[in-house]
Amino acid sequence: MENDIKNNGTESGEGQEQPKEDKPSGLMEKIQQLGQTNVPQLSQDSKIHCLTIVGQIEGHLQLPPQNKTTKYEHLIPQIVAIEQNPKIEGLLVILNTVGGDVEAGLAISEMLASLSKPTVSIVLGGGHSIGVPIAVSCDYSFIAETATMTIHPIRLTGLVIGVPQTFEYMDKMQDRVINFVTKHSNVSEQKFKDLMFDKGNLTRDIGTNVVGRDAVEYGLIDEVGGVGPALAKLNELIEINKQKEEVIVQ
Amino acid sequence: MILYTMMPQELIYQTENDDFGKQKIVSYEGIPLLVEMNAGQECRILRVMSSDPSHYMDERYTPGSMITLSQLS
Repeated sequence: MENDIKNNGTESGEGQEQPKEDKPSGLMEKIQQLGQTNVPQLSQDSKIHCLTIVGQIEGHLQLPPQNKTTKYEHLIPQIVAIEQNPKIEGLLVILNTVGGDVEAGLAISEMLASLSKPTVSIVLGGGHSIGVPIAVSCDYSFIAETATMTIHPIRLTGLVIGVPQTFEYMDKMQDRVINFVTKHSNVSEQKFKDLMFDKGNLTRDIGTNVVGRDAVEYGLIDEVGGVGPALAKLNELIEINKQKEEVIVQ
Repeated sequence: MILYTMMPQELIYQTENDDFGKQKIVSYEGIPLLVEMNAGQECRILRVMSSDPSHYMDERYTPGSMITLSQLS
């Protein structure tokens, strides 16, 4: 694109400064300039950042704009920025999601799990299907008393190649989810699979809808609570993290 | 053609490609915003995409408010 503009400039045989003015005034460029001129340098930088994961988790397929989605290409750079910014000491993840793309969900979960800063998640409303690995990926997880998490086998919509290998691929994908959840929470593999393949809980479907306190009982989530306890826990984890760093320095 | 169905409209009709282009992520004064482009440079904020909670407290950039993307031209 840039080459084209440059070529046009030289072809018309005008001076070096001319192509700059000829350049189509892209919106993005203007916005960047605006941002540079009057970015309010907020001194009261928040040391706790907050990621909200709402609606559907969007992966390779772009959903129509009326859907509320969380796009992984937005979240992942944010997580990278949070990891790099020394001013940010902790991360609060708020979940109210119906699930979505398995690979995008697992990508977000892995990023959160490997973050070196303390992370706390709260499930409010719902943290269904792929929301479960995201909820458990944090150092400590909370669930509101009324919040629910649907655990069910993974599924695929759309055109698939009807060969046995497709099923094996799905099976492997399911194992990835199960492994991640069992590794990052206190639920046993057997229990999680039992919940996943249970019958009679969801109408004409396989799976379980786990409500607040039950999720804690199964070991999936650490505690029942809301924003207050979550922030208290996060501050506690930040303190522990600070002390560890001090020990290393000494 | 008459359709009599309980399915929502958006499930039956595919979204037009233009609709995808209407929404954009812009960084405005350092705050990432999801905006819906209107005519000209005016756009409406749909969502604040920042992870910094203090950005949500800024009254100028609450969802629904209008911003002008270019004040230079």
